[in-house]
Parts: sequence; C-alpha cells; structure tokens
Amino acid sequence: MGFLEGRVACVTGGTRGIGFAIASAFQREGADVVINGRDPAKGAQAVEELSRSGSGGAAAFVAGDVKLRSDCESLVARTVERFGRIDILVPNAGGGSNYAPVVDMTDEAMAEALDWSFWHTFWTVRAALRHMIPNGWGRIIAMSSVEGKMGKPGIASYVVAKHAVCGLTKSVAREVGTMGITVNALCPGAIETDEMRAQGPSAAESMGITYEELLQTFANESAIKRLNEVKDVAEVALLLASDAGAGITGSLISIDGGTSPY
Amino acid sequence: MGKLEGKVACVTGGTRSIGRGIADAFLAEGASVVVNGRDPAKGQRCLDEMGAGDRAAFFAGDARRQSDVEGLVDFTVEHFGRLDICCLNSGGVEATAPVASMSDEEWKLEMDWNINHVFWGMRKSLQHMIPRQAGRIIVTSSVEGKLGKPGLAGYVTGKHAVNGLVKAAAKEVGTLGITVNALLPGIIETDIVRETGPASAAAMGLESYEAMIGLFCQESSIKRPNRVEEVAAVAVLLASDAGRNMTGCLFPIDGGTMPY
Repeated sequence: MGFLEGRVACVTGGTRGIGFAIASAFQREGADVVINGRDPAKGAQAVEELSRSGSGGAAAFVAGDVKLRSDCESLVARTVERFGRIDILVPNAGGGSNYAPVVDMTDEAMAEALDWSFWHTFWTVRAALRHMIPNGWGRIIAMSSVEGKMGKPGIASYVVAKHAVCGLTKSVAREVGTMGITVNALCPGAIETDEMRAQGPSAAESMGITYEELLQTFANESAIKRLNEVKDVAEVALLLASDAGAGITGSLISIDGGTSPY
Repeated sequence: MGKLEGKVACVTGGTRSIGRGIADAFLAEGASVVVNGRDPAKGQRCLDEMGAGDRAAFFAGDARRQSDVEGLVDFTVEHFGRLDICCLNSGGVEATAPVASMSDEEWKLEMDWNINHVFWGMRKSLQHMIPRQAGRIIVTSSVEGKLGKPGLAGYVTGKHAVNGLVKAAAKEVGTLGITVNALLPGIIETDIVRETGPASAAAMGLESYEAMIGLFCQESSIKRPNRVEEVAAVAVLLASDAGRNMTGCLFPIDGGTMPY
C-alpha cells in the first residue's frame, strides 16, 4: 500500500516533463491525481500512461490554460468535484516567451511570465487553501527554479516570476503553519524537458548564446557539471507530500546539483 | 527492496536522538550501519534495541577527538568492507557563555565538536569515496547554521562553519559521484537537548528550558518542535539513488523558521 493512499493531488502542467514525473510518483504511491494541461490529446495520453500499471491511484485530466484565472479556479473546483477533496497541490506549470533584456522587454512578455508562473500559483493556492484549511491537512508544493534564487541576464521575466513564487511560498507557510498545511517551493536546476526545448531557444537568443551553450552554462554553474533530471524533483515532491514532510514548510529546496549559493 | 540495500553507512552520535533516527531509517531501508558514541554500555543497548543482527555495529569514540572520528571511518571500512554513506551528526552545545566571557578552552570544545569533527570525518571518508567514485556525506547542521542565538556563539559559529564546508566540498567532488549535503533541523526535543537545554536557556537569558523550547517553536511557522523522523526521512532521500543530483544543499527541516 502506497503512503499517499486516500490522498488527492492536483498537478498543473502535469501531462509531461517535471509535472508528469511528480504526478506519476504520487499516483504510484496511491494518490488519486488530476493533471492539467492545455492540450486534451496530450492529456488523454498522459492519463492512459498513468493508468497503464493498473495499480496505484486513479488519474484524470482537466484541460485548461493556467494563464487564465478562471481555468485555475475551475481546475481546483473540478478536482474536488471529481475526487471529493484536494490534499496536495502542485502548481508546476510556468515559463515565458519573447525573452529580452529588460531595456527592450515588452509589457506583454513580463505579464505573460508573471501570469504563467506567479499568478497561476497564487490563483490555485488561494483556491486550494479554501478546501485545505477546513480539512486541517494540506501540502502545497510550488515550482520555483534555481532562477527563483539567482538571476540571469536576458530572462528577467522568468527570474522575477520565480522569485515571486518563493516570496508567496514563505508568506503562505507562515499563515497556515499551525493548520496542518505545509507550503514549500522546489528550485530545480536546468532540466532538458520538452518545455525547455520549446522555451530555451528564445531564452538563449536573449542571452546572446545558442541553446546548447545555454544548457552548458547551467551545467557549468553546478557542482555536478550536468543537468538535473525530472525524477530528482519528483522524489523531493514525494518526501514533502508524505507524513514525514509535516515538519518542513516555507522551504525553498534546491535540487540543482550544487548551483544555488543558499 | 529497501532504498539502501547493500549500502554501508556510519553515523557519529548514532546511539540516540537524531543520529539514532537516521541509523534506524537506514537499517529499515536495507543498509548496514556503524553507530558511534562515547559510552560502550549505551552502544550495546542501542544495538540490542535495533535488533538488526550483523547489519549493525557500534564503535566507541569521542567525536571531539580526531583519532576517534578517523577511527570510526576506518573501522566501518574494515568491518563492512566499504563506506558509502557518512553521517557526521554528532554535535551540540557544550559551552554556554556570552562571547565577552567565553574562555579559549570552551571555544575549542565547541569547535572540535561542531566543526572539526565534521572536517575530520569528511576528509577521511572522501579518501575512501573518491577512489570508488561514489559516496554520500550528510552533515547534521542546524537552524542555527543560518541564524544566531545569544549565549550559544560556539554552537552557532560551528554550525555556520559546517555549512561552508559542505558547500565547498560539494563543489570539489561534484563530478566524482559524491554528494555532500547538510540537514538543518529546527529544535527537536532529543535526549541531548533535554540534558544541555537548561544551561542553554540560562545562557540565552530565559527563565527555563520550557521557555527556550517555546521560543524556538514561536519562531517557526508550525509552532511546534520538529521530530527526529522528519530529519531521518530527508537523510534517506539524500543517501538513496534518488539523491544523486542534489549536492551542496542546506536542507531545511525547521517548520518554516529560517528566512532563506
């Protein structure tokens, strides 16, 4: 029997990459899992993969764009509708596009990055807390980044949004610390997911380097001199979701191969 | 199958409190473990309680003495044939005094226990791990490795120092299959805290041990002390294959106390 038996988890951006790895780990440990993404075809495929083993918890997909408040709020509502509760929230989606140095950055590029990483986290966290607080139990595991602690030229919109996620994490942790709810942020180093392949070239261009050089920069800054992997992140998410995670909150946990200085 | 099947670990200060919790968790995941402590009687009792047969052994030694710390590492390799995981966990508040009145001897005691022991154990472990290109070093630091409390300058300084050592060593061996991390627990009501807590409380200008525990709880978000098993779970993660890409990390287990 898995240690998340009876729990219900909701993972945004859960059809692939880090989000899918976390959803799989939760499902394997017995949690019922709702994954979100924009593309119903990818969603169906992900649910099929999650259900393939025939063991563990149930899986469901809810289509939605996390850059929209209404989609974020209805995702939480539909999770509760489908499985009767929400115990674990992983606001995992995030990113940006049209990267540029601040001097040339458009309002739209900054707003998109904030909607995608920060506002979506705020909207889903607020909606989930309204269910978790009365239940007296909850785990919020937000997705920040090594760039939530550091900074890189050319991708300020991403850096700003991920720092904002860390600030939100620390504040909310203080608000709900005695209510059985923990709130933490994961800060992974660079991982070559589909999303990285999609967004990386624009980020690299803004930094004046190639995509390959961008990945190499991240590897060079680490102690392990290679990129991280999605399963590294999923294992920490599992720990935080478990009963043993009850004493860890307000933490910004580095899973970055020794990159961040704190 | 356990997450640490076939692995060999040693734990300084492993007969009780946090060290014991880590040792128990490692045994439960299939590792063989050498626990260290000063008192052979307590060591024997610990082994009896663990009931892990040949997979557990005790090495008597004082973590404040270089030869004993290095002896533990050598004994582990000799006894179990290798060393995969070294937990440098021992440490505490031996001398409580305001900086203005702390003696050299008291200061040295604190440094030997809280930082030198970690350096000695880490250096010796790395000498075994580097040729094998594999290893995990897990240091028990503290919330006081990032913050500060009056009257506990030796402890606070030692814990800050181990954080620096962890970060530097992680960079040195990052490509050699060896990770080096620190655990930063908040206050836990262990035997050792119960023993040394009243003196710490007095040094901090508080009226009682209970007031000190209360102060630590108040600073956290969860408003309660942490628990040994919360720390042990993180140690298992860092020791396991799943932890191979986490290094140089100062892992908070403090119920939301530290600001960073």
